[in-house]
Amino acid sequence: MRKIAIVGSPNVGKSVLFNNLTGSYATVSNYPGTTVEVSRGKARIGEEEFEVIDTPGMYSLLCITEEEMVARKILWDEKPAVILHVIDGKNLERMLPLTLQFLEAGLSVVLVLNIMDEAERQGIKIDSQRLEKELAIPVVEAVSTTGKGMDVLRGRIEEYARIKP
Amino acid sequence: MPGLSPKKVGYSDTLEIYLARLEELLKAKDYKISKRSLELLILQEDKEILELVKEKEDVNFNLIENLIKETKANYAQPVSYIISLRRQQEASLIASRVMSFGKSPAVSIQERISRIMMNPFTGGPILLFVLYYGLYKFVGTFGAGFLVDFIENKVFGNYINPWAIKAVAKILPIPFLQDLLVGEYGIITLGVRYAFAIILPVVATFFFAFAIVEDTGYLPRLAMLVDQLFKKLGLSGRAVIPLVLGFGCDTMATMVTRTLPTKRERIIATLLLALAIPCSAQMGVILALLEGRPLALVAWLGVIIFVFLIVGYLAAKIMPGELPTFYMEIPPLRLPQFSNILRKTASRLSWYFKEIFPLFIFASFLIWLGQISGIFNVLVKILQHPMRWLGLPDKAAVAFLFGFFRRDYGAAGLYDLKKAGLLSGNQLAVSCITLTLFLPCIAQLMMNVKERGLRIGIAMSIFILFFSFSIGYLVNFVLTILNISL
Repeated sequence: MRKIAIVGSPNVGKSVLFNNLTGSYATVSNYPGTTVEVSRGKARIGEEEFEVIDTPGMYSLLCITEEEMVARKILWDEKPAVILHVIDGKNLERMLPLTLQFLEAGLSVVLVLNIMDEAERQGIKIDSQRLEKELAIPVVEAVSTTGKGMDVLRGRIEEYARIKP
Repeated sequence: MPGLSPKKVGYSDTLEIYLARLEELLKAKDYKISKRSLELLILQEDKEILELVKEKEDVNFNLIENLIKETKANYAQPVSYIISLRRQQEASLIASRVMSFGKSPAVSIQERISRIMMNPFTGGPILLFVLYYGLYKFVGTFGAGFLVDFIENKVFGNYINPWAIKAVAKILPIPFLQDLLVGEYGIITLGVRYAFAIILPVVATFFFAFAIVEDTGYLPRLAMLVDQLFKKLGLSGRAVIPLVLGFGCDTMATMVTRTLPTKRERIIATLLLALAIPCSAQMGVILALLEGRPLALVAWLGVIIFVFLIVGYLAAKIMPGELPTFYMEIPPLRLPQFSNILRKTASRLSWYFKEIFPLFIFASFLIWLGQISGIFNVLVKILQHPMRWLGLPDKAAVAFLFGFFRRDYGAAGLYDLKKAGLLSGNQLAVSCITLTLFLPCIAQLMMNVKERGLRIGIAMSIFILFFSFSIGYLVNFVLTILNISL
């Protein structure tokens, strides 16, 4: 079964997104040899069933904490077909460097601009089509707590995963 | 998009040359990530990666190490900094192209409240308001007063204790073992009762109040408010959480110092908790003691705050270490959800109880041992001398010794003395100050040793022992010299 990894810094709504994608069935276990917990679940997207992994929060590929090491290991060892980089939309500028690192690492990234409701309330607008062109990866706006943008996200994952061998 | 090649960050010419040279040296094929990512991590000396490379490139590894050194020699700052800086430039450039900041809507009510909370002039009174209603009224009066009274006197006094005493008397006919279980300081009559009748209601009300404060988003704002002050004490705003928790229970708060990033901060916070933060059980009794003596109350409060500041300041000066850095995201203010607060309170309570309960059983075992061996009587005799230096009656010694086993119990002992009319205003102030500063309760002592290690835990306790009595002596001395009666 191919895998989808959800990555990003802490407090951007990764777990809520994970629950949205997988429904309620998830197994939580310590990553082997660590005290870090990782949740795994299944999601049917289009015709295909994926294993979805909710990784611990990370700020950079250059790891400092045990959580970051685990997140990085998952990206390398488990070779996810798609990774969803979840960021807090209103902090785009501060969170983009991690996206750039994922791209350097040759990973297939879908960028999820989450918490867009708070961004809008602060008067922040993001031209996600333009951003898509700048980065040349799919960009999806979402509000994971209300489920807004989830259908679009599923569609983008499906189309992305189809092109990838 | 799929098919197109995704955005790549280009680095400075110098760095790109080193990256290219590094690529020549990497011969192994089976790395799991892209060569570029791998090279960048090597130049930033990622430990895990270097080990991996060493394993795979044994012949070339020396050359790779030399190349890293050569790269580093080009820059005054760490290579990781140079690389992050460049990436951030690229990120900022992209962000500036796609983000627009509409007219930021008029400052919302939340934002206005948030600013008021963080402003030094308006934030102070708000803090006092939260402390008064959350801590004094709800935890102190309702939890430590009403609930404790109900569980201790009604539930334990009328039902559990008499029943346990009878049951043990039947099963265990050996008197000194009976004492261990149900005597005046027995495991059931003191240890279990203490845990369930005094700690449980106080801590439950405290956790409840704390969860409300936490879920509104007040804590990070409080942290910002006191950050500047705390920096002078070698701490940062982050220490607000354990210190505020200390007003509930110092033992638990000591455990929570784990969240502080450096060892130095953890030691300073542990010391301040042990010395100058009275727990809710103790504060209830102290406030009752000083009731009707406003001058003594002011003296007590003034000395405790002074000690908190001066000891923190000196500890920060004496202990070497980096200045704490403090960076905290300020989440928006929110109305807390009741179900969430209940869940938080319940999960913290069960976690806390698992850690604390064995300590209470052990403490009543120690008291039993002290009684049966006569050590207690000797200690009371010894303690009478410092009592005299403080200008206190000999009888206060018992209160102080018990204060060590149960902070609030010590204060309660003083309460009996006050009711008997044996203490003047000065004596009340001096004894409350000394008892607040005095050694933490035995559960906290054990927690200090558990968290900070035997050496620091013991050293801290000895310091507190001498310090508390010296301050008590000093206050008494000053009051006497200046001929002040509180």
